[in-house]
Amino acid sequence: MRRLLTVLLLACATVGLAHSPAQAHNVLIGSDPKDGATLTASPERVTLVFDQVVRQGYAQVGVTGADGSAWADGVAEVAAERVSIKVKPLPAGGTYVVGYRILSADGHPVTGKITFSLAPDASGVSTGTTGAGAGSSGAAAEAAANGGAGMAVVWIVGALLLLAAGTAVALRRSSSPAAQGERTGA
Amino acid sequence: MTVTAASVSSRRIGGRVVGGAFGVCAVLAAVAASTLTAQDAVPGVPMPGVVVAYGLPVVRVLLDVAAVAVVGLSLLPKLLGFDDPERTEPVMLRVRPLAVTAAWAWAICALLTIVFQTAELNPGSVPTFGMIAAYVDDVGTGQGLLFSAACALAAAGIGLMAVRFGEKVPAELRIIVALFGLLPIPVTGHAVDSVWHDPIMISMEIHVMGAAAWTGGLIAMAAFVAPHRELLAVALPKFSKIATVCLLLVGLSGLITGLSTMALTPGATLPGAIVTSPYGQLVVVKTALVALLVPLAAHIRFRLLPAIRQRRATALVGWAVAEVSVMGLAYGVAVAITRSSIV
Repeated sequence: MRRLLTVLLLACATVGLAHSPAQAHNVLIGSDPKDGATLTASPERVTLVFDQVVRQGYAQVGVTGADGSAWADGVAEVAAERVSIKVKPLPAGGTYVVGYRILSADGHPVTGKITFSLAPDASGVSTGTTGAGAGSSGAAAEAAANGGAGMAVVWIVGALLLLAAGTAVALRRSSSPAAQGERTGA
Repeated sequence: MTVTAASVSSRRIGGRVVGGAFGVCAVLAAVAASTLTAQDAVPGVPMPGVVVAYGLPVVRVLLDVAAVAVVGLSLLPKLLGFDDPERTEPVMLRVRPLAVTAAWAWAICALLTIVFQTAELNPGSVPTFGMIAAYVDDVGTGQGLLFSAACALAAAGIGLMAVRFGEKVPAELRIIVALFGLLPIPVTGHAVDSVWHDPIMISMEIHVMGAAAWTGGLIAMAAFVAPHRELLAVALPKFSKIATVCLLLVGLSGLITGLSTMALTPGATLPGAIVTSPYGQLVVVKTALVALLVPLAAHIRFRLLPAIRQRRATALVGWAVAEVSVMGLAYGVAVAITRSSIV
C-alpha cells in the first residue's frame, strides 16, 4: 500500500510539473470601445482585451444592432490577448451589442458581451484604434505558452516510464516467493 | 430453500440499486447543474445546438461514472485480500469481467467527449475527423482525454488478463493503471495563471483520485461484498480506513482548489464571487453535499461497522444507497463546475 502511494505521488508530481503553467481561464479585462460607452464617431474596429493569450482559430465576435442587424465585417482576428473585428460604418444614434465566444487558454469556450452606443449626432469613422497587430506574433506567443508539441511528448513519455516502473515493481512482487506473505501483511 | 433464493436475488437487486442510484443521480445532477449555469447566448454569435448542450454533460458524467466503476472494481481484490480464495473467488469471478466492460465504457465516453467538445467549439456543423484532429492538436483538454482513453484501454487489457489468469495479475497494477487514467481529468477543468498553478493542479489530482477511490470502493463494497457477511467483516474495516482518509483529502483539496481558483482569477473577488459567480455557487453546492456525506459515512463507520465485524445482519446496502446517491449528485455538479464561468 505504501509503495502504491509513492507511485501515485510521483505520478501526481509529474503531471503537475509537466503541465504548462500558462493555461488558465480567460477573463475579459477591457475593450475598445469600452462597455457602455457612447461614441461620437463610428469605430473602425472593435477590440476585446483578455487577461491572457486567446487561442487562435476558434474566436467568434458579432456586432449586432438593436434590430438584430449584423455589422461585423469579416472574421475576428486574434493577436495574443487581443481579439478584434472590423466594423462596417454604423448608423448614428443606435445601440450595438458586441457578443463574443472565444476559446479560453485552458480549453473552455468563454462567452460574453459588451454594449456601446453611438451619439445621435455622430458622424464619420474614427481611425484612432489600430488593428490587433501581426497575427504571426500571436501564433508564436501561443506556441510558446502551450509549450508546443514537445510538452505533450514529455508528458506521455513520463507517463509511460512511470507505468513501466509500476509494472516492473508489481510483477517482481508477484513472482518473488515472499510475495504471498507480504501481501497478507499489507 | 425458497427463503435463501429469494434473499439472494433481493441482495443482487440491492447491488444493482447501488450502482443505478449513483449513475442516475450523477446524470440528473450533471444536466440540471449544466443547464442552470450555462453561459447565456449572446447576439451575433452562433451557439451549439441542443444535442451538444445536453449531450456533452451526459457523456462527460458517464465518463466519470465508468472511471469510478473501474477504480472501485480494481480496488476490490486488494480489499478482499488474497489468502482466502475459496470465499473471494466467486465474487471476483463476477467482478473481473465487469471491470473490463466498465473500462471499455470509460474509453468510449472519453473519445465521445472529445467529439462533443469539438462540436461545441464549431457550432452549426457536424464535426469531421479533420476538426477533431485539429482540436486534439490545439487544446490540452483533447490531449488529456485521449490519454485518459488510452489508459482506460490499457486497464481493459489488463482486466482481460485478470479474467484469464485470475489474481496472478497483480491487483496493484490494475489500481495504478485505473488511477493513472484519472490524472489527465483535472486538465479538462479550470486552471489559473499563477505561481500557485502547480500546487492547485496537484490538489485537483488528489481530489479526483480520492473521490474515485472512495465512491468506487463504496459501490463495489455494497454491490458485491455486502451479501457475504464473512467477507464483509474482513473487507469493510479496511475500506473504512481508506474512506476516512479520502473524505478528509477530498474535502480539503476541494476547498483549496475552489477558493484559490476564485481568488487567483482576475475579476473575481472573494468572498463576493462565492455567491455571485456560477463557479462559486457550485462550490457551495458541492461543499454542502460533502457535508451531507459526513453523517451518512459516520453512521456506517460507527453504528454499522461494529455489528458487521460481528457478522450480524445490517442495513448497510440501504445506507450505502443513500451515501452513493449524494456522491452521484456531487459528481454531476463536478461536471458543471469544470465548465462554469468563474466571474
